[in-house]
Amino acid sequence: MTYQLNIGNQEVKQRTKTFAALKKLFLILADEKRSLILSLLIILIHSSLTLIAPYLIGYTIDNYVQTRQYHGLFVFSGLLLVIYLFSLTTSYLQVKLMGGIGQRVVYKLRNSIFSKLLELPIAFFNENKAGDLISRINNDTDKLHQFFSQSLMQFIGSLFIMTGAGIFLLSISLPLGSAALLPALALLLFTRFITPWVKKRNAVSLASTGKLSAEVQESLANFKVVIAYNRRNYFRQRFDEVNVENFKFALKAGLANSLFMPVYGFFSNIGQLIVLAFGIYLISTGHFTIGLLISFLSYINNFYNPLRQLAALWTSFQVALAGWDRISLILSFETNLKAIEPQSSTCEASSVSFRNVSFGYPGGREVLHQAGFDLEKGKTYAFVGPTGGGKTTTASLIARLYDPARGVVLLNGRDLRTYTPAERAEKIGFILQEPFLFTGTVRENILYGNEAAYGLSDQRLLEVMRQAGLEDLLSRFEGGLDTEVLNSGETISLGQKQLIAFIRAVLRKPEVLILDEATANIDTVTEKQLESILQKLPDSTTRIIIAHRLNTIENADEIFFVNASRIVRAGSMTNALQLLMLDRRDS
Amino acid sequence: MKKGPESNKNKAAGKTSLFGLLKPYSGLVTALVLFALAGNGINLIIPLIISHAIDAYSSGLVLGQTIISFLTASFFILIFNYLQGIAQTYTSEKAARDLRKQLSDKISRQSFAYVLHTNPARLLTNLTSDIDSIKMFISQAVVSIISSAFVIAGASVMLLSLNWKLALSVLFIIPIIGGAFFLMFRKVKVLFKKGREAIDWLNKVITESILGATLIRVLNSQVQEYQKFMKANASSRDIGLAILSLFAALIPVITFVSNLAMLLVLLLGGHFVIGGSMTLGNLAAFNSYISLLVFPIIMIGFMSNSIASATASYQRIQEVLGAPEAAETGTLDGKLSGHIIIRNVNVTYGEKQVLRNIGLEVKAGSKTAIIGPTAAGKTQLLYLLTGLIKPDTGEVLYDGKSIHDYRSDIFYRQIGFVFQDSIVFNMSLHENIAFSEHISDEMLDKAIDTAELKSYVSSLPKGLGTFVTERGTNLSGGQKQRVMLARALALNPNILLLDDFTARVDRKTEQKIMANIQANFPNITLLTITQNIAAVENYEQIILMMEGEILASGTHDTLIRNCPEYVQIYNSQRSTSLYDLPT
Repeated sequence: MTYQLNIGNQEVKQRTKTFAALKKLFLILADEKRSLILSLLIILIHSSLTLIAPYLIGYTIDNYVQTRQYHGLFVFSGLLLVIYLFSLTTSYLQVKLMGGIGQRVVYKLRNSIFSKLLELPIAFFNENKAGDLISRINNDTDKLHQFFSQSLMQFIGSLFIMTGAGIFLLSISLPLGSAALLPALALLLFTRFITPWVKKRNAVSLASTGKLSAEVQESLANFKVVIAYNRRNYFRQRFDEVNVENFKFALKAGLANSLFMPVYGFFSNIGQLIVLAFGIYLISTGHFTIGLLISFLSYINNFYNPLRQLAALWTSFQVALAGWDRISLILSFETNLKAIEPQSSTCEASSVSFRNVSFGYPGGREVLHQAGFDLEKGKTYAFVGPTGGGKTTTASLIARLYDPARGVVLLNGRDLRTYTPAERAEKIGFILQEPFLFTGTVRENILYGNEAAYGLSDQRLLEVMRQAGLEDLLSRFEGGLDTEVLNSGETISLGQKQLIAFIRAVLRKPEVLILDEATANIDTVTEKQLESILQKLPDSTTRIIIAHRLNTIENADEIFFVNASRIVRAGSMTNALQLLMLDRRDS
Repeated sequence: MKKGPESNKNKAAGKTSLFGLLKPYSGLVTALVLFALAGNGINLIIPLIISHAIDAYSSGLVLGQTIISFLTASFFILIFNYLQGIAQTYTSEKAARDLRKQLSDKISRQSFAYVLHTNPARLLTNLTSDIDSIKMFISQAVVSIISSAFVIAGASVMLLSLNWKLALSVLFIIPIIGGAFFLMFRKVKVLFKKGREAIDWLNKVITESILGATLIRVLNSQVQEYQKFMKANASSRDIGLAILSLFAALIPVITFVSNLAMLLVLLLGGHFVIGGSMTLGNLAAFNSYISLLVFPIIMIGFMSNSIASATASYQRIQEVLGAPEAAETGTLDGKLSGHIIIRNVNVTYGEKQVLRNIGLEVKAGSKTAIIGPTAAGKTQLLYLLTGLIKPDTGEVLYDGKSIHDYRSDIFYRQIGFVFQDSIVFNMSLHENIAFSEHISDEMLDKAIDTAELKSYVSSLPKGLGTFVTERGTNLSGGQKQRVMLARALALNPNILLLDDFTARVDRKTEQKIMANIQANFPNITLLTITQNIAAVENYEQIILMMEGEILASGTHDTLIRNCPEYVQIYNSQRSTSLYDLPT
């Protein structure tokens, strides 16, 4: 299974899924059913009012102005005023309701994309760029937003007015009406013909915006290197490239989009011409009156002006659909790390076991081949081996960041896949090789994901930390718990980040604690302190230490050597060293 | 670097308004306006043709002429409208492209501290959403406003010429609507700015949830992330709703006032026709012109959204463009021998003093190790040496000259810096290692050899052409570290700075690499941050840092005799040095 979003030949597969995705879009709209119906009603009223007004004007001119009756003129003017006042209200409600729907739909849509991002496994993030994902969540939903909040209302309103005007035209005079509507048919054909091409161009343009966003994201995140290697021009060059590309595709999309307006305008003029010529002919044959022709001409405008608007709206609709395709692709992904039904467990077995586990990353060679081992509760294990040998992969499998290609990982004798994510997170603590901090404070970061402790007062928290022996470590932060963490921890040293990650994991009191090079950038004196904290963990805690610094593993009960897709028991420390120093490296 | 014209341009950019932004495209904009004027101008004739035809039908005028003039007019409208569309697209996309380029050029000249404090999430919004709203403004609003203004003016003239009394009595709506716009514009601009800031916030949450994706899954903290996101998203929604409320009020008011004008035409016009001072055909034409007049007014109402949004975005972009940049002052371009002196340097971040009274000397070609506890300021010291951070007081001297006196390109070409956090780019291994320009194949080979990457690279099917994924997710920690080392060595640097390089590389490889450096780069000046004393015991100088200060410095032997803290660190490592087998 691949999670790649940006591959060219996915269109075939996607088409079937677009329907499902569209259904999903309507599902999001379903919550808005009531406001939607209400606003449709109001649009209907508003549009009718808009339609009636010119008819009344025409009627007044015909019946009262031409016959010079002031009374009728005043009565109908009064009537018009009332209608205008009504449409003042309906117009307000229409904007407010439809705009509100737009805002809420985008809100929900963004939430559902984001929660999908949270649901998808790590493999998804290995294959997609942060900047592109951001672009999908922000820019593409914004295109939908623009359509919903600005265009949809006009779209529906225009359709109503058009239908109403069309019916009126036909009812006033069937021959003149049908002649007037003829150009609309031509437009329908034109639109059908040209739309797929326009949509495709917009899709390409949005994709290049995603690429641009990804480029900016990466360059800004790595700005340090850009400066220290004096490659400020690198930033410019890479950006220029995607910028020019984006320009090219956006231009193509824009040129396609701007085709609708003039063509629609042209055909609406043709409609007017037909009415004028045909109308005058009808008048001359005595089948029509001037007053009727005047109002007919204004109905023609009522029909073709919204049609002209539809041209612009259709463009916005195509852009929105292209955005929706990009979004729905994310939504269509399912996690491949589903929890499975618990089976009978071989009770009270070892803490963590691998049974014939094989694993490889997509497109790469096998990192583990039929690996197997058992780790007992309460013991300390060390995994050593050369870099790139598979240590981190082994740890990732224990934490179920991936599922093995073949074989099983057991936790307490039960298939790891039968645990819910919450259970798994509670039982397994994993301090990652690359610690990550969120912008906020040290306090927020050490309590991150620890709901039980989130409500603790500072005093209680310090008490808990003291008991675990963690309190001293806080002295490394000049503001203690309240030390600020800026920009995902860019202002904090790597060693400090590792300390926070360590505290965070230990406070959760997991059954299995994995330390993946977790103290690599911490000085050896502090490291001693950390070791004694680890000793204080409950007796049943299984500790798995991945390291190549030997002092961190000397207290291990057992050492495993990980290299060349195998995990072998190394026996004694000296034996492990022998392997480490002399074994053929295969990475 | 061409400093002069750039900074002038920035100064100019600080003053220009949204419309000033269009200045470089005056040719295109003129064409755009001309096309729009032509299209709309011809459009104005159509009611005339209609009115003419209606008035003249009884006098037996040939219909053919009407049809021909109507068709010709429509055809020209089609042509001009499409030309307008093309000009519109070109102008907006060009302006967006150039503005993006201007922004990225500006950002690329900024200091590390600037990017850190401005917040990358915001810069990303600047380059995407903000530019987008300006693009939207140009592609939709500019021409709408100009052509609307023209249509309004044209229709007004027509109205005045048809019946000036009637015209004057309806044109009162224009100042009323203008006033309403003005009032509302002031309010909504602020809201739009807030809206963009909410997008910055969203960007930040998304970025962090992606960068921290593994942690979130390990801790199963999805709910917490979701709540964070929802908060930012809700704030964006609420601002959107607030903006909406304003527009929901503005648009009906405009429509209503316009409708009142229609009503007035009916009443007064009716009166004039009844009184005989106006023909029926004129009244019909008047009616058409009024609708012509009303439509652009309502359009401007809708466009005001885009104007306000673009104004807020442009303001944000100008803040970035107008920010002062670190001036390139250096003129020296000599070779660095590696002799470094730091004198009395203090560095403060906000209230936190990260480096205090730092003074040290490094001899050319020597080896120096920096040790000390976590958060002692070791990395900051290397940042200082590479000019990534600037001292508040004191100076950093290379060969007796201040670091700022050197031309930055010459300077950075001679310094190889291996950062402790893995920074690799989404490019091929080759591009990652030969990151700097002017890297010869020979140097590249030597660097790969020295960093012990040769066997790894040759084990890859695509070798150096292998693509590194974003954030280097297809490399192990140690591999990334070695790629970064190779990147530094490929410069053939005179000075090599290693920040905790050994942390991610196993001992055997580390020893090999250090020996390789010794052999392949014999005269290199080395400064290394390390946790492991055993590996640096024979270095000319060991510097012990604590809490931003240099506690002690000297050779291993001096420190072991004079410095109790050093002894403590040394002892904390001794138990394991038993296992340090000779290679």
